[in-house]
Amino acid sequence: MTAEGQPGVDLREQMAENEKVIEKLNLALAKKTNEVRIIQQISSEITSTLELDRILDIVLGAMDRTLGFRHAMILLKDQAEEKLRLFASRGYEQSGTGPVVNYGDGVIGVVAKRKKMMRVGNIGVSVSYLNAVRVRMQETGELDQAATAAALPGLPNAQSQLAIPLLVKDRLIGVLAVESPKPNAFDELDEMVLNIVANQAATAIDNARMYQTVEQLSRLKRFFSPQLAELIVAGGAEDPLKTHRREITVVFLDLRGFTAFAETSEPEEVMGVLRDYHAEMGKLVLAHEGTLERFTGDGMMIFFNDPVPVPNPAERAIQMAVAMRDRVKELSAVWRKRGYDLAVGVGIAQGYATIGGIGFEGRWDYGAIGTVTNLAARLCGEAKGGQILVSSRVAGALEEMIEVEELGPLVLKGFARPVPAFSVLRLKPTA
Amino acid sequence: MGMLPDEIKPAMQGVIPAHVVTCSLDGTPNVSVISQVYYVDSDHVALSYQFFNKTTKNIRENPHAVVWLISPETFESWDLEIEYDHSETSGPVFEAMDMQIEAIASMTGMKGIFKLKAADIYRVKSARKAVGERIPLFQIKELRGAA
Repeated sequence: MTAEGQPGVDLREQMAENEKVIEKLNLALAKKTNEVRIIQQISSEITSTLELDRILDIVLGAMDRTLGFRHAMILLKDQAEEKLRLFASRGYEQSGTGPVVNYGDGVIGVVAKRKKMMRVGNIGVSVSYLNAVRVRMQETGELDQAATAAALPGLPNAQSQLAIPLLVKDRLIGVLAVESPKPNAFDELDEMVLNIVANQAATAIDNARMYQTVEQLSRLKRFFSPQLAELIVAGGAEDPLKTHRREITVVFLDLRGFTAFAETSEPEEVMGVLRDYHAEMGKLVLAHEGTLERFTGDGMMIFFNDPVPVPNPAERAIQMAVAMRDRVKELSAVWRKRGYDLAVGVGIAQGYATIGGIGFEGRWDYGAIGTVTNLAARLCGEAKGGQILVSSRVAGALEEMIEVEELGPLVLKGFARPVPAFSVLRLKPTA
Repeated sequence: MGMLPDEIKPAMQGVIPAHVVTCSLDGTPNVSVISQVYYVDSDHVALSYQFFNKTTKNIRENPHAVVWLISPETFESWDLEIEYDHSETSGPVFEAMDMQIEAIASMTGMKGIFKLKAADIYRVKSARKAVGERIPLFQIKELRGAA
């Protein structure tokens, strides 16, 4: 009996043991199946939209509700610099966007820099250890000045972090990070799950951002030249249509004799002249990278140093104005043969203006408002045919470049005191 | 199946610092506390080499060592007999350790100062969950010096 009984006990024990293992495996399998289902769901949801905010919301929502990551954030790469910006987060007192993480700072910054995933479960211990080392090194004189510790977004008491780079091919889009105040909170399975989510999210985010760029570009192209629009988008600059203040050089021009011409000519003739004039002036605006604010009949307003800053706005303005004067002279010769006597007058001033989108839904213009625009307009109004009048600020700045004739202070509408003005005779030959 | 079971992994995240026991050629033992013993694969672990200290000096003389680990989840102790194999200054193991050190250094104002010199790779000769008492060091003849 013993010979038979003994194996029986072993077998029963073995079976009980097996059952436990099977149960464990089943649980693990159920968990895995559930995770696969969740991931499929996330994937189909995020690929069905091109709205960035919606994608981030779906990913973070799923992280919290279904995957059990209580504190999660998504940081996206700055378009221009090696920096990450927090775009969305869940599970923090202060939600929302803003903080910037430099490449190489903290777990997230190092993950961005190396484009490799990182899982740390002992942040508190490691930080205390390194702080102790630092103090020791300072005491022994091995280290005189420690660098400042990087300020990072996230839980102040995070013990565990798992950060995954969001990559499309080998290009970094951003970083997806989860954290916990508990040590060792994440394991290899979490890594696997997050990796799959990150892959899906990276592609969806990239597509959405690309779409945003195209949309922004087409919107900006309504206000700026195509090159300028692309420059703005590529620079990742703040939306220039938002109101802002900047020093600009403003050029106003209009045609002398235009009112009389328009009164005595057929509308078709007037339109024909304007078309030629606008086309030629437009080319010169583009060539000098000016921003055309508006056409009003024969009048035009152009400014420099916004939305893209340029190193020499006044110089460009003068060069453009002189080129315009020359070109209109050539056009005038043709017009004169048809019996129209037209010449261009120009006013230029420099100063601070408030700039941004002006108008209402359906009809927006990009405009600049300030004394500088008034002054340029008034100087233009005073200019005789073929004259370029500049403010003393512009004349002073371009002393080396232009020969001017001082006109003496002019009494201008909207200005309490007479304003000194200078007439530009010619560009000085470059040395 | 290697020497290291999966259940040891939580003890290798550096949550509870580990002890390393080494011995110089003349038989002087040394115990030091290290922040983390890294899991490489089921037969290898890695220790970070940042500063030249007694442990690194001893290991270059006598490659045998013992590490004591404590699991932060169960508080079970693990005793590992290990033997220094080689050092790596590139590759996935080095990079993973280096990234972690770089991240923590930047958080403590030690950016660019506290760096990983190398990842020292050790072969695991034995691993056992210590029940009641630690591994009796006197039984390990390699730790009694070469003499």
